[in-house]
Amino acid sequence: MKNLTDDKKLFYFYTILVLLILSVAVFAPELAPYNPFDANMKESLTAPSTAHWFGTDKLGRDCLTRILYGTQTSLMMTIFLVALITVVGTLVGVLAGYFGGRMDMLLMRFADMMLAFPGIVLAIAIAGMMGGSVANTILALAVVSWTKYARLGRSLTLKIRECDYIAAAITCGTRPGQMLWTHIVPNILPTVVVTAAMDIGTMIMEIASLSFLGFGAQPPTPEWGLMLNEGRQVIQTAPWVMLFPGLAILVVVAVFNLWGDSLRDVMDSQRAN
Amino acid sequence: MKKRKNILSMVLAVGLAMAFLTGCGGSIQKTADSTTLRVGVTNFADTLEPTENYFGWVVMRYGMGECLAKFDEKMNVQPWLAESWTISDDHMIWTFKIRDGVKFSNGDALTAEAVKASLERAFAKSKRAATFFKYNEIRAEGQSLIIKTEKPEPNMPGFLADPLFLIVDTAAEKDHNFAKEGPICTGPYVCKSFVKDKAVMIRNEYYWDGQVPYQLVEIPSIDDPNTRAMALQSGEIDMAVNIAAGDIGLFQNADKYHIDKISSLRTVLARINQNGVLGDPKVRAAFIAACDRKTYNEVLLKGTFIEGKAPVPPSMDYGFDQLKDPNSYNLERAKQLLAEAGWQDTDGDGILDKDGKPLSVDFVVYNSRAELPLYAEACQSDEKKIGIDVKIKAVDYNLIDKMGINGDYDLLISNITTANTGDPEIFLNWYWRTNKNGDNPQNGSGYSNPALDAKFAELSSEFDREKRRQLMIAIQQIIMDDGAAIFFGYPETNIVSSTAITGATMYPSDYYWVTSKIKPVR
Repeated sequence: MKNLTDDKKLFYFYTILVLLILSVAVFAPELAPYNPFDANMKESLTAPSTAHWFGTDKLGRDCLTRILYGTQTSLMMTIFLVALITVVGTLVGVLAGYFGGRMDMLLMRFADMMLAFPGIVLAIAIAGMMGGSVANTILALAVVSWTKYARLGRSLTLKIRECDYIAAAITCGTRPGQMLWTHIVPNILPTVVVTAAMDIGTMIMEIASLSFLGFGAQPPTPEWGLMLNEGRQVIQTAPWVMLFPGLAILVVVAVFNLWGDSLRDVMDSQRAN
Repeated sequence: MKKRKNILSMVLAVGLAMAFLTGCGGSIQKTADSTTLRVGVTNFADTLEPTENYFGWVVMRYGMGECLAKFDEKMNVQPWLAESWTISDDHMIWTFKIRDGVKFSNGDALTAEAVKASLERAFAKSKRAATFFKYNEIRAEGQSLIIKTEKPEPNMPGFLADPLFLIVDTAAEKDHNFAKEGPICTGPYVCKSFVKDKAVMIRNEYYWDGQVPYQLVEIPSIDDPNTRAMALQSGEIDMAVNIAAGDIGLFQNADKYHIDKISSLRTVLARINQNGVLGDPKVRAAFIAACDRKTYNEVLLKGTFIEGKAPVPPSMDYGFDQLKDPNSYNLERAKQLLAEAGWQDTDGDGILDKDGKPLSVDFVVYNSRAELPLYAEACQSDEKKIGIDVKIKAVDYNLIDKMGINGDYDLLISNITTANTGDPEIFLNWYWRTNKNGDNPQNGSGYSNPALDAKFAELSSEFDREKRRQLMIAIQQIIMDDGAAIFFGYPETNIVSSTAITGATMYPSDYYWVTSKIKPVR
């Protein structure tokens, strides 16, 4: 019993942190001291000071402002991406698991095929072919990431399908659509949601790495991976340009990972009870 | 338990990061090796075939290939494999006296016959050769090479100093793959192995011009400017070609590094495609006038570039000071020009539009030269102030040439040498003379001005130095008045070398990097 409350406390704490980050994203325009695109070239690469807490970048733009706006870019991309792969992947998995047979074969062999490629390399290839942009990054990462949810959804569905209440529902004449919607999906949802929550941190990293490599967001978008790459060129003479976006990624990814973990702990102990 | 694990792993991660950072801190200066020279460069060549693309430059830069003539520190043409040359009174026949006692790296003697075969090979394999000059006949008589041209060619020795015309032993081609194993030439070093990322050269035992100091020259291609600087700092390489503006400050310690920098013959320019929205002269003029080129060069590039204005840089005497830039920085004028051209912001998104189309242009850049993306992004930010949306497209260097020829751009920035033949005629001609059915492939922009073409025709057979100069000044003024391109700036180029070696010199022509003059300090 004690264990449960501890887990919950921690979960609330991380949730508050997550909400804080989300509110930074939402209120970036109010919080930011400058405009993220306003280049004041006369002040390029100035060191952190009271006027520019995190210094300025190569075009004299305020780094703090760009990092705040970057929260918006990164989180929006990530949330959209995670939502997309969760919905698509789970749907495919549930269909394959419930109907079995040929459909299962077809969908899962296709998923296996996608899994045969090294994820980030395939994403680079896709983004490279389609040209770098925010939309293409999401698409590229979605193409390589949905399979995990498909496998998860399938195996959970297979487990539930053997339950007596499903057999009962079938006997009562429940139609497949209704069956999926009222009996299968609600029962697998908790596990899927926990997996998705734990994936947010990874996805932030992957989006940032594609941008870092030049396949994601394009200048002048304030995006952490891209800022990191810009800072790399002046790492010895103006380290702050690279340091602060790096820290932003570190903090946000850590918070989301811890939050995902604690969400799982809460769910697990609730189920155990 | 899990929590504790989490915290522990975070602490470990931070510790690892710290260890990694401190590990990078202390750079160890390796003692220079007296048998091996290591040179950090940017290589664009896929093969060592000198007639393919511009790969001849690499063959020459790496110390393999040599031409009949070369350019000195002041871009004067000097004898090299040719001892001397003369021109007939009717200006149609050039006679080159080939140096005696020169041998190819396989031991074969360099004869006028071999030179003839090599030049003919260049013409057979490269379309670009004919853009320099056209000949009726090349003949070898003893050690004399006689070239009869179609029309008078005032700058022939300069043309033959271009790396496209470096002399190879065509007789050796049948059992030696020039593209993969490197051509058989006369330079101090011979290719031992070559891949795009790294070339290894060994000493040419038959070299004609004195002792070759190194047994081995390793030339890694380090395309990222920052990585190149770090390789030099760590002692991984002995010299680096072109340290970026932002990093040059790291090498100020004269006890450890020698910086050889010169104002180059290069210009950073953006070609402007006239088939798109920038075909409207007013939009073009507005675009150029919105670029605050003074700030780009003096502040962003820390004065390592000179503010751009005209096609030919001020390092050459082609009227830089007297040329007038009609589109110097003026935001108000730029805005007015766009209004006159009918562009307005009707939907209030900050980007001008006309007939429902936003004023948006594609700006193509490549990243292996650090200044190019910087110019492009600075320009993008300035254009936004007058309501033009600039989309930057970063592509690989190898695509640039093709994109330029096909006109796949609105703007395409590149760093171009303006005088690869000793004077800027070819440069001006290539990029701005009218391209009729592909006879001037480098002008893929659709730009055409009959008055300019007439000047080019006049220039091509003018022998008088001063008249040539005046013609080229007039040509530049027409290009500037038409807003045919944006001239961003003129770079200084540099070779930074460790003080453990001596003789590493940057020449204005940018063709001679590895030479037999580079030696270890004893």
